[in-house]
Formats: sequence, structure tokens, C-alpha cells
Amino acid sequence: MTVLFEPRAGLGIDELEDELARAFECLRRAVLDGYSVVVALDDTDVQGVRGVASAALAHGLLGLVRAFALEGRKQGWRVSAVSSTADTDVTERVAWTEQLADSRHAGGTLVRLGGQHLGRVAT
Amino acid sequence: MTAAIVTGAGGAIGRAIARRFARDGRPVLLVDRAEPVAAVRDELRDAGAIAEACVVDLADPSAPHVVREQADALGGAAVLVNNAGITRDARAVEMSTEDFRLVVRVNLVAALRLSETLALHLGDGGAIVNVASRAALGNFGQANYVAAKSALIGATRALALTHAPRIRVNAVAPGLVDTPMTRAMPAPVLEKLVARVPAGRAAEPDEIAGVVAFLCSTDASYVTGQVVLACGGRSLAG
Repeated sequence: MTVLFEPRAGLGIDELEDELARAFECLRRAVLDGYSVVVALDDTDVQGVRGVASAALAHGLLGLVRAFALEGRKQGWRVSAVSSTADTDVTERVAWTEQLADSRHAGGTLVRLGGQHLGRVAT
Repeated sequence: MTAAIVTGAGGAIGRAIARRFARDGRPVLLVDRAEPVAAVRDELRDAGAIAEACVVDLADPSAPHVVREQADALGGAAVLVNNAGITRDARAVEMSTEDFRLVVRVNLVAALRLSETLALHLGDGGAIVNVASRAALGNFGQANYVAAKSALIGATRALALTHAPRIRVNAVAPGLVDTPMTRAMPAPVLEKLVARVPAGRAAEPDEIAGVVAFLCSTDASYVTGQVVLACGGRSLAG
């Protein structure tokens, strides 16, 4: 079973604490219940081109993904992330999400779809 | 030279950053929530620097306006260093939601509120430096800190894009730093941490201050939206 976490869009700086706490509680409950977690992000937020709060939220979630993956490596927690752009094929996004959820070796990984990140700084 | 605002100026890294700016001839506004920051102010004044202390809790939403007023009283600022931070470590399964929230509030939200408020008032050619952490790449028992510092790095890029070309925004990500908190660790724990650093030692606070000073200087005038990992190579190995 997989939990797909999608952050709320369009938040401001004052809403970051609530949204990151919501994600923290969601991820913790999911791994304790034995679920895989895939965090779904908009790649423009990972790039930081859609505003400060959106970028902070995306990278805060990526931090959470890395923290849980690292901490749960021995327990087999499966926590990863996928980012896509508006023109990413939905079928492909679903396929990557399923693959990440099933993988025992993709913990903490971000798969970036859409190609807009090429030529830009890595995460 | 216009002033620099340094948050968390009562701590080891903040104090080193403030001393470095003062040595470079820049007036400094020292921001911290606790009174000991006055001792730092007095030390800098004794050394001939212009320094003021601003005691305020940055987690308070009104804090940015208090800081701005004090910066205006110093003749305005060109530099902001978001250095204030706290830790509340615990394994993710044992971490309280309140401790998660508190670390995000202080390390992330307060820094962003301050940046957004002050960015419009920093002089042209100004600079913001966010003190992030190597831990943003992942650390055991620090889900709150990792999330907050990783978010701060993401925000650094967005702030850089938002305020270019008028203001540059960068981040420094220290690894293990020799502070009173580090020295209070049990010796075996500290030895284990040091063993994972290719440089073979913790950083001196002055070494982090040096990177901050560089990022704020004209030597870095073409650098924005970047993160300098000042971690002795820990991000590559260990």
C-alpha cells in the first residue's frame, strides 16, 4: 500500500509551519503502518521559480523525505519523491510513482520528470 | 559602510559573523532573543566598532518590524544574515509535533518573514545570507531540522530570483562546528562525528564567518541563489 502526499498549492510563508507539520505527521503515520510514501511535487517549485513559500515547501518536503529515508533505512521504510511539470504525461507520472513506491532501494530519491530542470542546479 | 543585521548573534557562529563584519568596518545590528547579545555588543564597541543589540523573539510575527526600526536607527542596512536557529532532536517516531513545529517556526518561517520584510529596505547591492546546514542533505534524529534547513535552501533560490538584480541571496551550509554545544557532547559521540569529516576536525566559527563575509562582499558580486557547503567535505563522504 502506498500513501501519495501532495502539498497544498498557493500557500504563503505563514502557512508553511502547518503544511510541513501535516506532512511530518502523515509520513510518520504511514511508515509506522508499513505503507510506502511518495511525495508528489511540482518541479517548478523545486526549481524555485514560483515564489518563496512554494520553493520552501517543496524543499522542506524533500528534506523530510531524506530524513525519513535515512532514519528508516534499516526498518525498510520506503519514502521517496517525484516531481513533474504541467506537460508531463500522466501515465508516466503514475508509472514512476508506482515504481518508487515498490522499490526497496529508492529511499530518499527524487525523480524529476519533464526536463525543465536540465541545465539548472541540482537539488 | 552600511550596517549588517545578524540574527542569532549571541551564539558562537553569530558572534563570529558579527565580529568579522565589525573587523571589516561594518556597523552591526545584533539580533537575539536573549540578553547575552548585549555582551557581544559591548565587546564590539570596546574594539571600536559601531554595534547595537536588538533583543527580540524572531518567532513573534511582529519581530521583523522591530528589527527594521532598529536598522533604520543605524542608518539602514545592506546585509542580512539569517543565522538564528534551534534544534530539538529526536527520532522521527518519537519527535513531538510541537518540537517539529517549533524548529520549523524559528529556523525557517522567522528567517523568511525577516527576509521578506527587510529585502525591500536593503540598499541596492545588498546581500542576504541564510545559514542553512549540511544536515539539509539528511541527518539521523533531526527530521524537523533537516526539513527546515532544506526548505531554507529552497527559499534561498526563490528569494534570489525574486530580488535579482538588486539584492543577492545565498546560503552557507555548515557541517560540524566547534561550539559550546558541540563541546558538551559526550567525547565518544563527538569523536564519531569528527571521524566522518574528511577534514578531520570540526570547523571554527570564524571559518563559517569567513564564508558569510565572502558571500556579502563584492568578491561575490556575481554569485546569487547558491549554497556553499562549508562542511569539511562531510557532504562527500561519511
